[in-house]
Amino acid sequence: MKIKFTLNGTLIEKDVPVNKRAIDFLRDDLGILSIKEGCGEGECGACTILVNGKNVHSCLMLAVELDGKEVITVEGLKDNVIQEAYVEAGAIQCGFCTPGFIISTKALLNETLNPTPEEIKEALEGNLCRCTGYVKIEKAVKLAAKMYKGSDSND
Amino acid sequence: MIKNYFRPSTIDELSELKIKTNGYLFSGGTDLFVKIRAGAINTDTVIDTKYLENEELKIENKKLFIPLNTTYTELRKFIKANQINPIIENIVKTIGSPMIRNRGTPVGNIANASPAGDFVLASYLLNASVILKPSSKKIPVEEFIKGPGKIELEKEEFIYGIELEILDDYKFYFEKVGRRNAMIISIASIGLLIKEDNEKIKDIRIAFGSVAPTILRNKEIEKSLIGEKIDKNLFKYLANEFFNLSSPITDVRASKEYRKQLVYNLTLKAYINLYEKVVI
Ligand SMILES: Cc1cc2nc3c(=O)[nH]c(=O)nc-3n(C[C@H](O)[C@H](O)[C@H](O)COP(=O)(O)OP(=O)(O)OC[C@H]3O[C@@H](n4cnc5c(N)ncnc54)[C@H](O)[C@@H]3O)c2cc1C
Ligand code: FES
Ligand code: FES
Repeated sequence: MKIKFTLNGTLIEKDVPVNKRAIDFLRDDLGILSIKEGCGEGECGACTILVNGKNVHSCLMLAVELDGKEVITVEGLKDNVIQEAYVEAGAIQCGFCTPGFIISTKALLNETLNPTPEEIKEALEGNLCRCTGYVKIEKAVKLAAKMYKGSDSND
Repeated sequence: MIKNYFRPSTIDELSELKIKTNGYLFSGGTDLFVKIRAGAINTDTVIDTKYLENEELKIENKKLFIPLNTTYTELRKFIKANQINPIIENIVKTIGSPMIRNRGTPVGNIANASPAGDFVLASYLLNASVILKPSSKKIPVEEFIKGPGKIELEKEEFIYGIELEILDDYKFYFEKVGRRNAMIISIASIGLLIKEDNEKIKDIRIAFGSVAPTILRNKEIEKSLIGEKIDKNLFKYLANEFFNLSSPITDVRASKEYRKQLVYNLTLKAYINLYEKVVI
């Protein structure tokens, strides 16, 4: 089936098999390698992407469902603020989970730059990390929010 | 393997496709695609309901109407903006994760008819009716759900929406016991709504998830408690009744004995949290 959508700001038109999952299409056909497959069933969040501004699992979605949508992955974020905050806070070890966390962080910070600790926990509850123990990830989110607010006031 | 994918935009088109292809409907796909992947469902046709021109979330005659394709995230926003049924927020925020709530739908949860379905429990508590199309039948949820995964749907029918009561001035409690915080498929859950009149019960609704083939609620017991004084003894009586009424199974998540004990303990815990104000 023919679909048309924007991926990280670029308009894409492609013919995709209807049984293909969004994760396979984006990763294998379009080379978006930040998207990882951990569990393939909605449990780990490594495959998280933004579709029309909302974070969703690309493993539980068909490629044809991307039709008409605006899709953002880590490759297409407008700045590196969240990535820098994760590095700064030491929130990355093996890095497999990181793109998913960054996308969920982006979804949260799109809603608010003053997240409460509860809001941060809720925003990240669908992302699993086997390495860091989460404390530094929560710090990274707070730091990213601060960095965004800082850059706002400079504008 | 999926060979055909359809996007009907009208009720009739959807209904005809369903008859013709015998395909599976989906909205969020958070149940369907997990099952297809696990091999529990094998279908060559899926019907995407998200292109249907359906109504919006609305409040009418003290009822909340949730159409198909409404996600949990959209429902939460609506509930908050309109300040109704706060118990729904308590229940929905425990469903899956932000990603699941951004795609998953209450209607999908009802269609799935799992005794662990958290929105199924919410629907039982709020005396929901399920609205079908094209027939326009309106069926109480406890009649619509026949057993685990079993619903009353004719070949041409699909769920168009759910209608729930809007309740004012009720105390409420919800708790789900599972193995980790986010994304728990419950081992057992309790939902409780109480309206008081001078420390006595004016209305009480109590429902349990995952401890029987469907959500466990008993309207006779509820009715018999109207006018009773609210105290610990009353909840001990309730805990005993539901301990006896529950008929859980043993599965990978917990044994049936453990689940029965949870029914008892959760009932008392609900009382303690609501009336003895112990902060946990
Ligand atoms: C990681 C994860 C965590 C989860 N956590 C929870 C949880 O905490 N609590 C909980 O209750 N559930 C949970 N679920 C299950 C699931 O997310 C919910 O049941 C959700 O509400 C399903 O909605 P959906 O729109 O995604 O359903 P879909 O997958 O789109 O559909 C579900 C089923 O309903 C049928 N169907 C869909 N629409 C209609 C219709 N209009 N008429 C008739 N039949 C229809 C489909 O054919 C399918 O069989 C979880 C799932 C995952 C993957
Ligand atoms: S790969 Fe999608 S949630 Fe794990
Ligand atoms: S850094 Fe290794 S899984 Fe998170």
